[in-house]
Amino acid sequence: MSPTRRELLEAGWKVGSGLLVAAAGWTTFEALKPLADVSGGGVLPLLPPDAYPEGSATFVREGRFFVTRAKDELFAISQKCPHLGCAVPFCEASGRFECPCHGSVYNAAGEWISGPAPRGMDRYPVQIVDGRVTVNTMVLEEGAPLGSRMYDTPDRGGSCAPADEA
Amino acid sequence: MTEPHLPSSKPHSWRSRVQESAVYRSIVRSPAADSPRGRAQRAFGNVFLHVYPVRVPRALLRFRSTWRLGFISTVLFTILLITGVYLMFFYTPAVSMAYGDMQLLRSQVGFGQLIRNVHRWGAHLMVLAVVFHLVRVFIDGAYKAPRQFNWVIGVGLLVVTLAYSFTGYLLPWDQLAYWAVTVGSDLVQYAPGVGGWMRNFLLGGSTIGQAALLRFYVIHVAVLTGAFFLLMAVHLWRLRKDGLAVGDVDKVAHDVTARADDHDLSLVTSETWLPDGRRVLGVVDTEQGPGHARVPEDEVFAWPHLIIRHQVVALAACALVLALGVAFEAPLRELANPNLTPEPSKAPWYFVGLQELLAHFDPLVAGVLAPGVLVAALVALPYIDRNPSRRPQDRRVALIVFWSLFTALAVLTVIGALFRGPGWGFVLPWEHLYFEP
Repeated sequence: MSPTRRELLEAGWKVGSGLLVAAAGWTTFEALKPLADVSGGGVLPLLPPDAYPEGSATFVREGRFFVTRAKDELFAISQKCPHLGCAVPFCEASGRFECPCHGSVYNAAGEWISGPAPRGMDRYPVQIVDGRVTVNTMVLEEGAPLGSRMYDTPDRGGSCAPADEA
Repeated sequence: MTEPHLPSSKPHSWRSRVQESAVYRSIVRSPAADSPRGRAQRAFGNVFLHVYPVRVPRALLRFRSTWRLGFISTVLFTILLITGVYLMFFYTPAVSMAYGDMQLLRSQVGFGQLIRNVHRWGAHLMVLAVVFHLVRVFIDGAYKAPRQFNWVIGVGLLVVTLAYSFTGYLLPWDQLAYWAVTVGSDLVQYAPGVGGWMRNFLLGGSTIGQAALLRFYVIHVAVLTGAFFLLMAVHLWRLRKDGLAVGDVDKVAHDVTARADDHDLSLVTSETWLPDGRRVLGVVDTEQGPGHARVPEDEVFAWPHLIIRHQVVALAACALVLALGVAFEAPLRELANPNLTPEPSKAPWYFVGLQELLAHFDPLVAGVLAPGVLVAALVALPYIDRNPSRRPQDRRVALIVFWSLFTALAVLTVIGALFRGPGWGFVLPWEHLYFEP
């Protein structure tokens, strides 16, 4: 049965309104979706490997990462806590990374020791090019899963958190 | 010369001349308010007075009938709207400008810091007022039929209020702003599947930078304001239609509804046809019609009785916010530094309970599921709790569940706000207080 004029007009305004809403949604999405990340990073040539001794953590401001050494291996560890994105400082007293926001603790290789973080700290690949440590910040490698610690760094006994921490 | 149909004791006074002029009477069209009819006409003919019903239950005049919390929220919103417009004259939503504008406001703009203080304390008080309004409505069972949907609108207004606070928090672009919003927006990441994408959509990129600041600004001043007015219009309109009745007064209306339900009169509509071919246009209960249910002595005119009381409350709210603004400076820490997280980094106080929860549970549970379930439960509440009674002794389960949740949230908030220090370690607030509102 063919539709009556009334049914056709009623379907018409409903479909028209639906199209308008869809167009508005599409426009909003296309307009507001994030632009391509311009801060995509790059390849950062740093100092020779000897400049990064065991037990130290050197902050590289351009890429917001630390260069550390554990068991004679170099790491470039992103400063961003994998828990909720706080900037994790290196604690000289403990020789570990201690997050000020929720108290997650990581060893010098960025591996998870304690706290609410879902994984170890994220890292960038490190290469030695022409005798210089070179870090590629275009590739972010997700941190090691919980409980997979391979690089035990000695606990210096100290802590940057208050002594009476619960 | 005195107009014959307008007797007046002072015919030649300036006041009466103005009031009798054609211009004045084109603006104020209502007749003299010297009779009930005149008073009603005055309310009908005035868009501002029309927000109120002409007559309200006498019980509503008692402050403790509602604690005026909904009205106080509206007053605080108005204060925030006005101070917010002032701030917009001096604020540029740019990473390179925002923090400098804050300092300029403090040092160069007359009353600039006071306006910012009032905006800050007003915002904190509004969150408190809205939450207590919700608590009051729950305790009185005022979300029950026919007001279920208005409760849902109210939950929407609570969410908009919190979103206002959160987006406003970033705008000063200091360390407090940057890190509270970092923690808050990274929570979204834990939503399964779409979390990371949603976070980037909100921030306009993968990090908090220029795009995020501009987005938060536009959401704060335009998007949320539009949403707030839309929801508020529905909220107030529904309130008028369902009545401002409270407590015992409301019971009368409820009894009438219950009787109507007994007779299944609700099934009778204008589409109902009688067997003899006549159509039912309406049903009037001869014994218990509206005329019998409403006792005139129990009602008073909204103007002046209720509106004067509202004006006093509004003045008191303004005085309180102004006093707070004079006494306490809104915090402004150092310029935002993405490389240095301050110790400790706390969310705004109304989210600090969530942050405390985050220290104990998986972020998916504490940051996404807990608040999501809480809001969903609030929305669903009037449809789950179908118990029609509003008396506390009939609502034991509902009240116990509500107070348990409220207490848990309050305890988490107090611990997070007052008992947490660097590294989220436990500290006693009387030894060192790490709390910045």
